[in-house]
Amino acid sequence: MTNEPNDHMEDWALHAYADGELSSEQRHEVEARLARDPEAARKVADWKRQRALLKSAFDGVLGEPVPPQLAATLRQRAAPSSVSPWLAMAAAMLLLLFGGLGGWFLKGGTLPVMEADLGRQALEAHSVFAVEVRHPVEVPGSDSDHLQAWLSKRVGTAFTVPDLTEQGYALLGGRLLAGNDGAAAMLMYEDHEGQRLSVLLSTPGTDVETALKVEEQGKLIACTWQDGKLAVAVVGEMAREPMMVLAKAVYEKLEG
Amino acid sequence: MDFRRQLSAELPVLRRFARALTGDPALADDLVQDCLERAMLKSHLYDPSRPLRAWLFTMLRNLHISGLRRSGRATVVKTVDDLVDGEGAVPPEQEQRLAAGSVSEALERLSPQHREVIVLVGLEEMSYRDVSEILGVPVGTVMSRLSRAREQMRQLLEDRGHTGLRRVK
Repeated sequence: MTNEPNDHMEDWALHAYADGELSSEQRHEVEARLARDPEAARKVADWKRQRALLKSAFDGVLGEPVPPQLAATLRQRAAPSSVSPWLAMAAAMLLLLFGGLGGWFLKGGTLPVMEADLGRQALEAHSVFAVEVRHPVEVPGSDSDHLQAWLSKRVGTAFTVPDLTEQGYALLGGRLLAGNDGAAAMLMYEDHEGQRLSVLLSTPGTDVETALKVEEQGKLIACTWQDGKLAVAVVGEMAREPMMVLAKAVYEKLEG
Repeated sequence: MDFRRQLSAELPVLRRFARALTGDPALADDLVQDCLERAMLKSHLYDPSRPLRAWLFTMLRNLHISGLRRSGRATVVKTVDDLVDGEGAVPPEQEQRLAAGSVSEALERLSPQHREVIVLVGLEEMSYRDVSEILGVPVGTVMSRLSRAREQMRQLLEDRGHTGLRRVK
């Protein structure tokens, strides 16, 4: 506040000197200045003192034992997830491709009603929003951190917005929908031909792992499954095989 | 290669950063916990050619900022570059609270954008370039904030010195 603008400019060299940002040549110049400018020398000494004070105030943290909850967090995901729903999914795929059963492969033997709903919901949502040229999403994919934080929060469980670039789909963004089980997140992707793919995520309130289910409606195809708390539907207008590849990518990337 | 092991190696420094940023041990560890969870969730987005520490600092700092926003202190945070000079930012009620304050109290009285820059450069010894990436602002902005932060810090510590002297008398 008392600095003249010019001082300010020159101060930058002093800061850079104090922070080890200068080349050796520049350093010598500043050192020469410090030798003949007591005010500059005082400033640099003062910043050194600040650094020493900061270190003395906070370096103690480095030696503290790691709090148990943090250690637990680090361990928590260390164990590989016990069951791989993907195995079941792969089996379902075989059934679909070769068995011609055209439908279910269930691990528990019970019919998860939720999943059936989710598939229908996802198909409906896709037909409504995928045709939107100008406003397909509420939050653009360019703001993916915000999108992820916001939708994770609203849906009630953290997830990673899958990056489907390798599969040829760019993220357009996402929106929030009212699902049967509360808030549902819809992510919308587009390939270079403008074909859209949507991923619907919701938390039906159960914690199970189901196998993959495929539903078709006209030209649309939906793949649904539940992995833990998160129920997922992938919808697009395409044949089964490419859909399977995409569903597998989404499955793997949601896990993060 | 093991990401979790790398995280755990960075943990002490991450905790120090969070402590200095928040000034509150419990809040700091909550922040570190959120940061770890997020880091594990997003590990596939980490570019191993970049320093892990800077990546974690970015994440923790962003979580901290959104925490401040939620708790209604956003006005101070928002566009930092609006705070041209003077940078008020120290709420008046805090003015009286700095009795025989320590450096951490002085730090708490800085605006969040001054505090973070002085913590990153002065305590964590990050390069200006890394700091510019962590904060998402140009290096020039890092330097001008740093310069102001250090000047404020100097005054705060001086005030504290005077208080001390008067007490001794």
